[in-house]
Amino acid sequence: MSGVWIFAENREQSLELLNIGGELASQIGTKLVNIILGDNGQAQDYIDYGADEVWLLPALGPDQTLLAYAPVIADEAKQEDPDIFLVAGTLRGKELAAIIASSLDTGLASDCTFLKLGADNKLEMERLIFGGAGIQKVVCSTRPQMATIPARTFEPAEMKAGREGIKRELPTPPLSPLKLLARQNRVRESGDIREAQAVVAVGRGIEKKEDIDMIRELADILGGEIGCTRPITEEKHWLPEDLCIGISALEVKPQLYIGIGVSGQIQHVAGFRDARIVCAINKDENAPIFEASDYGIVGDLYEVIPRLLAELKKSGRAN
Amino acid sequence: MINIVSCFKWVIDEAYVRATSSGQIDLESVDYKISDYDRNAIEEAVIIKEKYGGDVTAVTVGSPEASKSIKNALSRGPDRAYFINDTSFADLEPSQTAAILADVIGAQIKYDLIICGEGSSDLYARQIGPRLAHKLGIPCICFVQKLEIKDNQIIAERRVEAGIEIITVPMPALVTVLSDINSPRVPGLKDTLAASKKPVVNIGKQDLSGNYDPKLETRETRAASLKRSCVKFGSEAQDVSGFVQALLKAGAIR
Ligand SMILES: Cc1cc2nc3c(=O)[nH]c(=O)nc-3n(C[C@H](O)[C@H](O)[C@H](O)COP(=O)(O)OP(=O)(O)OC[C@H]3O[C@@H](n4cnc5c(N)ncnc54)[C@H](O)[C@@H]3O)c2cc1C
Ligand SMILES: Nc1ncnc2c1ncn2[C@@H]1O[C@H](COP(=O)(O)O)[C@@H](O)[C@H]1O
Repeated sequence: MSGVWIFAENREQSLELLNIGGELASQIGTKLVNIILGDNGQAQDYIDYGADEVWLLPALGPDQTLLAYAPVIADEAKQEDPDIFLVAGTLRGKELAAIIASSLDTGLASDCTFLKLGADNKLEMERLIFGGAGIQKVVCSTRPQMATIPARTFEPAEMKAGREGIKRELPTPPLSPLKLLARQNRVRESGDIREAQAVVAVGRGIEKKEDIDMIRELADILGGEIGCTRPITEEKHWLPEDLCIGISALEVKPQLYIGIGVSGQIQHVAGFRDARIVCAINKDENAPIFEASDYGIVGDLYEVIPRLLAELKKSGRAN
Repeated sequence: MINIVSCFKWVIDEAYVRATSSGQIDLESVDYKISDYDRNAIEEAVIIKEKYGGDVTAVTVGSPEASKSIKNALSRGPDRAYFINDTSFADLEPSQTAAILADVIGAQIKYDLIICGEGSSDLYARQIGPRLAHKLGIPCICFVQKLEIKDNQIIAERRVEAGIEIITVPMPALVTVLSDINSPRVPGLKDTLAASKKPVVNIGKQDLSGNYDPKLETRETRAASLKRSCVKFGSEAQDVSGFVQALLKAGAIR
């Protein structure tokens, strides 16, 4: 038996995995299996986007967590012996993948940003190490070769007309001892910063929450969005988590990134590596952010920002 | 009385990692540290001990050079340390580390609660917690930002993309913690002195009987290059004007 398997919690990431998974499956000459949560008509959708088989996980009781599926998926893998198993790297996906990998006694490469079949037909998987300062290329010597894939690593699959595939229900998982007491969904307060053409990021150099207003004004003038470092979301709780940029948060690829009061430690820098132009405003001329910038201003942000706003307004860029 | 185990890793401080001119990773002049989030893992264990009564064992797997980490870890409050070390334990991949930890913890350490960091600062695989839990046959909750214990049950608030999940499970169990769960204390001189008197159990490869072959093999490592122009401006009005001109010229603003 063989196959390339994919699993994602959401449609967006399923489509990305269908794309890369489909490519790998055709190179190996095997089938592409998409494991999905329940069926609200998505099974045919995923077949249209390239899945040869769609396996449906049955709905869980309201007090069960995603992890309850681990034994069911692991049991299937033990029987079917897939070549490759790609899991979308959401937080829950990473946890699930690690448990499945342990059940199957196989290797798992976390957060892979590049996948390629090597000359020996082994899957070469690249990932960041040292907070983003290094890249590691690994292969997995056991089966299945497993990887988690962050969102937006691959382009989504394209729809192909007239495809047919197999649908199959997976067995109901045993009750897990983990009980979900409550789920509190966060309301999204802003747009998706990954779509923004300009991102103005604030760091711990900002003294109080209200000061973010002037950064927001700058972002507005530039037609962009504000983002931030992890201490701003996690330590200060001044901005929501979906604005945090970096290796443990979101990766942005805007035309312009400006870091303000951001030191430029590697875990944050890894999140805007592919920005076209990078700028920094920091009062410490030795801050590492300057090495990661095209243009920097060495100075106190409380003096620089008003001057920058005035300059942009003067040149007619303010609305 | 809750028996708590916190797992920590001694890692290269990534701030010292440089690139060679040929694009290799340069580890010539690096320093080491206790992996960032493992300080939160140790702190959380000590907070729980102080709050509910308990006993804290800190455990690490590494090369013999990682011995420097032991006193550092103990100065943060644990009662004892297990130092599992061998020259071949320097660059383990996650499945190996988890297997070694599971063999030692499973056979030698009493535990109700195991606390790991969310991810290690060097590999950031975010695997060892769940793998270790699975090997020990106990449930795990990852990415916890708030932890309580009631009637031998853990109540954990954990982060997912969409918001928060509140999950409960009876002990024994394992959690991995995010950095905002607490603010690790800064050990003082007294803590450092106390640390030298605490027991350390040394475990070598000869004391272990499992098979710890790697499942992931590293084919290549290289530095992640950052090529930027690095032009610096001052902060006076005319400098800021020059900065804006440069951005206009680069087409970064229109
Ligand atoms: C495993 C791991 C994962 C991580 N993931 C992420 C991640 O995804 N994203 C992330 O952001 N971080 C992440 N971090 C944390 C990261 O290492 C840094 O701690 C963080 O990015 C620093 O945030 P900062 O720049 O806001 O704060 P600081 O490092 O404290 O920097 C503040 C800067 O502001 C400057 N400043 C102060 N006052 C002024 C002023 N008046 N005017 C101008 N400048 C001023 C200072 O000179 C300093 O450079 C991670 C860490 C670990 C260990
Ligand atoms: N060598 C090690 N020794 C002890 N604990 C470790 C080791 N490596 C990782 N851990 C623990 O597992 C967590 C996750 O590590 P990782 O899976 O490498 O991201 C860390 O935060 C530690 O708590």
